[in-house]
Amino acid sequence: MRLIFVSAIALFALCAAAAPGSAHHSFAGEFDVDKPIKLQGTITRVEWINPHAWIHIDVRKPDGTVESWAIEGGTPNTLYRRGITRDSIKSGMVINVDGYLARDGSKKANGRDLTLPDGRKLFLSGTGANEQPNQR
Amino acid sequence: MRHDIRSFATAAALVLLASAPLGAQSFKTPWGDPDLQGTWTNQTLTPLERPAEFAGKPVLTEEEARAYEARLRQQNNADIRTPGTRRDVTVAYNDVWWDRGERIVADRRTSLIVDPADGRIPPMTPAGQARAAKARAANAAFGDNPAAPEDLDVYSRCIIRSALPRLSTGYNNNYEIVQTPGYVAILQEQIHDTRIIPVDGRPHLAGTVRQWLGDSRGRWEGDTLVVETTNFTDEARGSTFRDATRNMVLVERFRRVDAETIDYQFTVTDPDTWTRPWTVKMPWNKVDGLLYEYACHEGNYGLANTLRSARAAEKAAEQK
Repeated sequence: MRLIFVSAIALFALCAAAAPGSAHHSFAGEFDVDKPIKLQGTITRVEWINPHAWIHIDVRKPDGTVESWAIEGGTPNTLYRRGITRDSIKSGMVINVDGYLARDGSKKANGRDLTLPDGRKLFLSGTGANEQPNQR
Repeated sequence: MRHDIRSFATAAALVLLASAPLGAQSFKTPWGDPDLQGTWTNQTLTPLERPAEFAGKPVLTEEEARAYEARLRQQNNADIRTPGTRRDVTVAYNDVWWDRGERIVADRRTSLIVDPADGRIPPMTPAGQARAAKARAANAAFGDNPAAPEDLDVYSRCIIRSALPRLSTGYNNNYEIVQTPGYVAILQEQIHDTRIIPVDGRPHLAGTVRQWLGDSRGRWEGDTLVVETTNFTDEARGSTFRDATRNMVLVERFRRVDAETIDYQFTVTDPDTWTRPWTVKMPWNKVDGLLYEYACHEGNYGLANTLRSARAAEKAAEQK
């Protein structure tokens, strides 16, 4: 397993027109859009909590040391109704995460894409709680 | 004991069915009130306001409706990457995480708003526009770096999901209604808010008492539960409905249409905000399942992370 830090280069300029109409402070406040990150790690624990689930993974660095990371997801109530349970995302699974680094410098990330061993892909934005599609 | 209750309920239901006219169903509690009890969802793909593409067309044909639903489902679930933009994260959920529903409303309307007839929120008054602009400016003032939790809205702070009335949102659009003689309680899955509505003729609280969910009073008009809510508060960001004042009056109507459906309508009136009242009509559909706990505050790491990030940004700025 390896850890790849993608350089902090915004591939596209921040585009006001692309931003949703409503403010999404939990993303802008928590995670740095200029610091994309890719992680591969082994799940050690999943917190099935509202308002957002957190997936904890151990990531082995090139020098052999292991770092613990936490990845933010969405609401577990919906996951459960979709049939994704403790048996679907469990300790020992190796997952790939493509996301953004926490602004406070801690080992947390907002996983943009996460692929489970069964191939199921969960887009993992942890800030969708502010999405109110019918209220814009 | 459980079987006894079921047997009793079955017997009671048979008696009710036997006494109802052929083809009609009666939904009454044992004490004779209309029965709204159960678990319901207000999820729908129908937008609140009529989209420009459907201007002048309040109802779709069956064929148009299916095509529109297919398009919305595809849009909602599309994996569109725009790396390096806020959008890349904020619209990143797919249908695994969303619970918006798969269909528009059964009567194929193009907006949930039924009054005004154009399906749009009426224009705001100058005072309403000024209030909305002030709220946007206050929001922009702190940007991504809130000074304190009070800068953030009631949803981010896990106080309430939003002010009443509730519209269909991204997920957890579930409600459980429980009735006793003289009360109707509505448990809202997100964020674990419970409205306990007296239906016994008592007056509203004094105007000096302000509450997150206001002060609701119910009455029965035939088979319809009519609930009037006043006494809202504007003490926190997002604690009023869509830039309304705390003096907004909300009137909701709940009517059991059949075993699977409640016809839910609401009218909001706030002359300080909108040039006229407006009305929404949307179904609450029966959910085959339970409401789950939404213990929001306990797991709200995002709030602490956001505040910590803001302080880190300040420190970094000082060191430059």
